[in-house]
Amino acid sequence: MGVAVVTPDLEPVPQLSGRRAWLRKSFLPYALISPSVLVIAGILAFPLGMLVWLSLQHYGLKELIQHSGEWVGLGNYQTILADPLFHQVIVRSLLFTFACVALTVVFSTLIALLLLKVHQAVRVIVMSSLVFVWATPVIVSVDIWQWMFDYEFGVINYLLTNLHIGNFIHHNWFDNPVQGLGVLVVVVVWGAIPFVTITVFAGLLQVPSDIVDAARVDGASGWHAFWFVTAPLLKPIFLIVTCLSTIWDFGVFNQIYVMLNQRPSSDYFTIAIYSYRESFGVTQYGLGAAIAVLMVLILVFVTFFYVRETVKVAEIA
Amino acid sequence: MIAPGAAQGIRTGTERAATHLNLRVNILERVKQSLYDAAGIAVAVVMLFPIYWMVATAFKPGQDILRLEPKWFPAPFTLQNFLDAIERPFFLDDVKNSLVVVGVMLVLALAISFLAAVGTARFGFKGRTAFLVMIIGVQMVPLNALIIPLYLMLDRAAMTDALPGVILVYLAVVLPFMVWTLRGFVANIPVELEESAMIDGCTRVGAFWRITFPLVGPGLVATAIFGFIQAWNEYIVAYVLLSSPGNQTLTVWLASFTTNHGPEWGPLMAAATLTGLPVVAFFLILQRYLAGGLTAGAVKG
Amino acid sequence: MNLRKGWISVLSVAVALVATACGGTGGGNPAEQIGTLTVWLMNGSAPASVIDSVNADFKAKYPKVEVKVEIQQWGDIGTKLDTAFAGSTPPDVVELGNTLVAKYAAAGALEDITGKKSSFDNSATWLQSLTDSCTVSGKLYCVPYYAGSRAIIYRKDFFDSAGVQPPKSMDELLTVGQKLMTAHRSDPNFSALYFPGKYWYAALPFVWDFGGDIATQSGGKWQGSLNSDGAQQGLTRLQSLVSTLSKADKTGDEAKQDAAFAQGHIAMIIANGWEVGVITDPKAGNPALKDKLGAFPIPSHNSGQTAPVFLGGSDLGVAAKSKHVDLANAWVAMLTGQKHMTDMATVGGVIPNTTSMLNLGTGLNAVFFGAAKNSRFVPNSQNWASVESANVLPDMLVKIFTKQQDIPVATKSASDRITAILNGGG
Repeated sequence: MGVAVVTPDLEPVPQLSGRRAWLRKSFLPYALISPSVLVIAGILAFPLGMLVWLSLQHYGLKELIQHSGEWVGLGNYQTILADPLFHQVIVRSLLFTFACVALTVVFSTLIALLLLKVHQAVRVIVMSSLVFVWATPVIVSVDIWQWMFDYEFGVINYLLTNLHIGNFIHHNWFDNPVQGLGVLVVVVVWGAIPFVTITVFAGLLQVPSDIVDAARVDGASGWHAFWFVTAPLLKPIFLIVTCLSTIWDFGVFNQIYVMLNQRPSSDYFTIAIYSYRESFGVTQYGLGAAIAVLMVLILVFVTFFYVRETVKVAEIA
Repeated sequence: MIAPGAAQGIRTGTERAATHLNLRVNILERVKQSLYDAAGIAVAVVMLFPIYWMVATAFKPGQDILRLEPKWFPAPFTLQNFLDAIERPFFLDDVKNSLVVVGVMLVLALAISFLAAVGTARFGFKGRTAFLVMIIGVQMVPLNALIIPLYLMLDRAAMTDALPGVILVYLAVVLPFMVWTLRGFVANIPVELEESAMIDGCTRVGAFWRITFPLVGPGLVATAIFGFIQAWNEYIVAYVLLSSPGNQTLTVWLASFTTNHGPEWGPLMAAATLTGLPVVAFFLILQRYLAGGLTAGAVKG
Repeated sequence: MNLRKGWISVLSVAVALVATACGGTGGGNPAEQIGTLTVWLMNGSAPASVIDSVNADFKAKYPKVEVKVEIQQWGDIGTKLDTAFAGSTPPDVVELGNTLVAKYAAAGALEDITGKKSSFDNSATWLQSLTDSCTVSGKLYCVPYYAGSRAIIYRKDFFDSAGVQPPKSMDELLTVGQKLMTAHRSDPNFSALYFPGKYWYAALPFVWDFGGDIATQSGGKWQGSLNSDGAQQGLTRLQSLVSTLSKADKTGDEAKQDAAFAQGHIAMIIANGWEVGVITDPKAGNPALKDKLGAFPIPSHNSGQTAPVFLGGSDLGVAAKSKHVDLANAWVAMLTGQKHMTDMATVGGVIPNTTSMLNLGTGLNAVFFGAAKNSRFVPNSQNWASVESANVLPDMLVKIFTKQQDIPVATKSASDRITAILNGGG
């Protein structure tokens, strides 16, 4: 089922005639989506509106308690855009997101392809491991990772030393921010692999094996068959997975925050941490809100292509 | 575990190779197969190690936990950490709260997102594109940035420190993704099936319930699993909204194992293992329905 | 005994509503007051038995008032407090870390109780540093609850086998440490004095002992002063101790120091009194160390004297938005009153809020209780919490210990940031 089937947008409604059919066609879809719209708008419209409104105010703890800020127009945005730290944070967040998304998608695809090749029993083992990872709350898994990378009790340092990869006794992974962010990429990618792998694998199962076989018979290498036959068929999956991963990884918070004992130094600020710190750390809620708004705008810009393509593919369906 | 069909495909392929090609190729195939299997095991080991470390720690006695030379296996073995965790006040209340929050939220979310999925997959209408863009766009807003507005809104409605408030927030957060995924599944079911049922005398609604709905089953399951995991593991909203210990969820309960002098590793790992169990159980019970493909619909977009 | 751990949260007192239901609102009569009082205490602050006893006494006096004590977790507590105070029904009574009070008081979150000060037991003898933490612009916004002051916990057996005595001066601290290092030179993990790089509470005594301070105030303006001569001398002394005696993570914090100490490769740590309980906890620590632990105050560079220590601890505030301010004050007065403070000190082993009870410490606790007498506090500014969130002090210490920056450079840039933040800049 799946790939080859095209569902028309508007199906004929044979048994209904005239006016009733027209009513159905025009009202039914709205009736169907209205609960979703009501819930999403009902619950998120006010907070989103307030976020934007906050971003235009000088809003500290005092203002928060009294519910009255001081209107500063675009002042908060000017402050942030003039802050050199903000520029660093943006660049760091974008690079971090890119590294996480690229590694997640590549590794997940490789694992998904591997799952097609392995023995049934091995597949069960791999799938179970993915489920366990997925099922572990982030706040817990980050604790575990933090401990594994610990300076004195960390099992990673112990392991690397005992495997004679080098002397990692009392090696500090977060001393050097580049190395520290590398560790954080590992933690994020580890947590993201299950969802993406299972999604890609499910997609691979939908690819008719005869098409791939035919390509192989025609002399295509495995790589070629994947690149020219399978991958294009999976384009919608890759689109949505990349799009969602970008959104999620750009907003990464817990991993960095917990890994660095809730006190990350500014070398580790990503945009979500920066926004949170401005809000709750130094109680500049207006600035924090402005950063969050900018974050969404950047995300819209970065994912514009993906979202357009994704929605386009969905529209054809 | 997933998709027996594909596994058969491989096996028949191997058999064909065995009968039609010579022995050397057969051996080569076997070596290749072992390499694949070994790689698969390696992936599982790397992915599982942190989880193993959590579970192993949960069974270690206190003195064996933080050691300069880590112990690979929990020997001696103890259940003390689990007892400590379970005896922690409000454990059962918080289990119940988590189940209520996630259960109610999921039922509502599945019903609501299913309707929207049908609406957007089966009908073209003005505003559909806008709706789809909203569904994706809403997910871009960082939840942390909404804490204060959400709190003030629920405060005005006198819904802080109460489960319904948390349920509503989770519903709004999880719904967009669920609508999107389910939409893909519904779009993937040929309308022709319904139409032929209608020719056989079913009403349109009847055809939909009898034909389409069962086929969307795997989609509902996949979506439910995603929603379950998201809501079950959420922390900051629950922490900020729920104040009385008897009213909190399991992730907030988990935070009580981190004191002002760092985490109590043994009980924390035991508690974390217990918290993860329902998710794994939920997944294992439902996984067979995933065979059709977690995102069979997503191939279509 | 682990003092800080496992204190069970208590949700107490469903009030019997039997009594005479007719009889009006009751006015000033305690027995007729009605309402529900919500109290937020932090995880690990008071033994459950003390809270139970406070609630029982409270119920005896106010039979129609329901008290809900809700134990809150430490992680992200600032976020939770910010939102709660912004809401319409914040907790009536709230425990606040003493470095956070100024921020909430200045923002108007807490009730001004200046006029009621004398109605609280021992208010004349409250620990000065705790009273300071409750005082903003000359007004009192909270009641001191309990204190925490640090001293050095050491291994008596290690000292004996190396033939050394607890040091009486900072110079001796170094020579004692060096002898211990020599005695354990075969152990690559051994630290004579284990000092994690971000442990700024433990670095302050060195700054203060040489006459330095974090910041000074004059004419309403703050001036960061970590680059003063005294502060630099103290930090230089600390740096030499850390570089010769400590194998701890120079970029880590102190959260794991008790677990590390229990592993047996450490001779001394700078710690709170309750950390003895963590070290010897049968579940997570090593109970065999119970008889091998000693404590002595952090010595001054002047032989025979002790260095001033940072006085941590908690205060109890009443929310300005509370609908039961008087009841809330009454509850606070009970918990901080003579009877229950005595229990806190004797049962809980926590340093009480008044100098009149500092003699209640027994055994090792006596050392920590004594340390509270010579204690100091951070600059009392509403913006101090922002200095903490900005990690100014930990970052400076890390740069010094890892030798990324020289002390004059690191202290200068830290001072400048502190000046800017305390005066309301970024």
